[in-house]
Amino acid sequence: MPLHDTNYQHWEGAHLGLWHRRWTIAENGLRACLQNKWMRHLVVLCWGAALAMTALLFLVGQLLVADSVVVQWVRNLNPDLQVFASMLTTWLEQHPEVSVRTTQDVLFYYFGTFLMSVSIFALGLAMPLLITRDLASNAIIIYASKAVSRGDYLLGKFSTAFGLLVLTWLGPVCAAWFVGNLLAPDWRFFWHSRVPLCHAVVYGLSSMVLLSLLALGVSATSLKEKSTGAFWFTWWVVGGVVAPIAAHTKPWLGYLSFNFDLDQLALAVFRLGDDLKIAQDNIPIFGSMLRNIRAETTAALNNPPIWGALLGLLLMAALAAIIVAKRVKPE
Amino acid sequence: MSSSPVIETQALSKVFGPQRALDGVNLQVAPGAIGLLGPNGAGKSTLIKCLLQLQPITSGSAKLLGREVGREGREIRKRVGYTPEQDCHIPGMAGCEYVTYCAQLCGLPFQAARQRAHEMLDFVGMGQERYRKADTYSTGMKQRLKLAQAIVHDPEIVFLDEPTNGLDPKGQAQILELIQSLWKAYGITVVLSSHLLQDVDRICEQIIIIARGRVLVHDTLENLKAPKRGAAEVVVANRQHDLQAACEQRHWPCTPLPNGHLKIEHRAESLNPLLSLMHELKLAPLEIVPSPNALEETFVQALEMSHAAT
Repeated sequence: MPLHDTNYQHWEGAHLGLWHRRWTIAENGLRACLQNKWMRHLVVLCWGAALAMTALLFLVGQLLVADSVVVQWVRNLNPDLQVFASMLTTWLEQHPEVSVRTTQDVLFYYFGTFLMSVSIFALGLAMPLLITRDLASNAIIIYASKAVSRGDYLLGKFSTAFGLLVLTWLGPVCAAWFVGNLLAPDWRFFWHSRVPLCHAVVYGLSSMVLLSLLALGVSATSLKEKSTGAFWFTWWVVGGVVAPIAAHTKPWLGYLSFNFDLDQLALAVFRLGDDLKIAQDNIPIFGSMLRNIRAETTAALNNPPIWGALLGLLLMAALAAIIVAKRVKPE
Repeated sequence: MSSSPVIETQALSKVFGPQRALDGVNLQVAPGAIGLLGPNGAGKSTLIKCLLQLQPITSGSAKLLGREVGREGREIRKRVGYTPEQDCHIPGMAGCEYVTYCAQLCGLPFQAARQRAHEMLDFVGMGQERYRKADTYSTGMKQRLKLAQAIVHDPEIVFLDEPTNGLDPKGQAQILELIQSLWKAYGITVVLSSHLLQDVDRICEQIIIIARGRVLVHDTLENLKAPKRGAAEVVVANRQHDLQAACEQRHWPCTPLPNGHLKIEHRAESLNPLLSLMHELKLAPLEIVPSPNALEETFVQALEMSHAAT
């Protein structure tokens, strides 16, 4: 027998606002995602990568400290790397603004594209928890009968996907930039590296918005949890395989792959071609290494097909929005 | 307590393709325990869904708790509870987490939501099973969970769509008792949609009978039973034959029913003459049901009239 009063009690408190209710949906979704063991491993992987990136930025910065362990360690490297490191050191000393910006731009480009792959994988794992499960279990009707609208529900679910990407992408990028520059020998590294940070954030945020929208669309395609996850991974893998092959025959096919489109977006945002050109001019040994790169690769780096990629991404996002609008209804 | 209508509809219609699910429904419903009766496919659930904005209204207008449906959806739903007919829990969530989450969706802060969730789970009679995932619940537990999530935010009106479906008689009785107490003890208007007449008869004061999307009857249960007031079903522990003989002496038709009860047509407005007779015979009634089957007869009559009209 209960020790307390089990009668109905009226509630007299004040209701919290609409944004609190939307946040509740997002938070609940994110918590459900993180209950998955593999998801937690992926988050740890991303933050581990951020730690590695921080270490890399620290090592680059240490090249400027004459008696640092890194400099002594470089002296023991093979002759080619030794020359490369000494040229990088000279460049860092003579033109810190350009060299720090270029170096970090290249590093954050690769870091960002790595995190994008991990984030796409994480979204695949989270796919059933976005909309699929609510559709399958009729939970949509419960949301619809509470003090939230369909738009609030979708905003909450979008925030779940976006929040997950903050954990696996934007968070590690920002943390690596901040701690990496905090450990640099000169405070001016923060200022010199503002452009790479902007590039990484612009690329990250725009990709995260588009990926979150696509994930919501895919999540609403079926009531079966395995189907939506499988659809996402298949689209990702097939797109990744088809896009390079199609580039020679039917280039438009490549735009159907969201990861190909996002790669083009990354190249356009980071302007990696310009960075490599600057590095090539300032570090001659690096220039001779790049001479072996094929002309079409250089062209792809300098002039990525950004408009086609953007159009492809926007069409996919529009299709996702239509699917969500059609499928997410109480009945 | 305010007696202004909680539900008002004017020429409310809902059309699904060629089918007219609601056809010009006009209602002015006062607070209370309201029974929404009708055969399957009559439009009961559609009416509730239109009022809650789960379905868009095709034409006409509706007000719930004095607010325009369609314009103030969120504000209305903050003050309304709903238990759908089908299962609707969120997979992977424990019962108490689910009810807490539902309270938060209505704007309760987390601490208050959690506390209230436990209070409501106590109220509906759920014990330690609240910590188990809702996916593993029996039908009875799921019905209790649905009721708890519907009332966790302290609504002014609660819509219950077939809340006793799939329950055993004991579970049915417990749930009905809880629902009855919502209005009688705590002043929460209850709209009970059911095709089970005995459920509605037991707890509701107002009856709305719907068929083919139209309201056939809307009146208090008392008024509906008035024409059939001169009959009662009586259960006595012993000496049933004495009672039967006494009724026959007074020319009151008395029929033994298959369930062992006696149906007595005493033809009086109240039960007093029957009670006086039993007092004279020194018979203590175990149970007296006034106007038995009155609702069923009204329901059947209304449906027959509706069929005849079409």
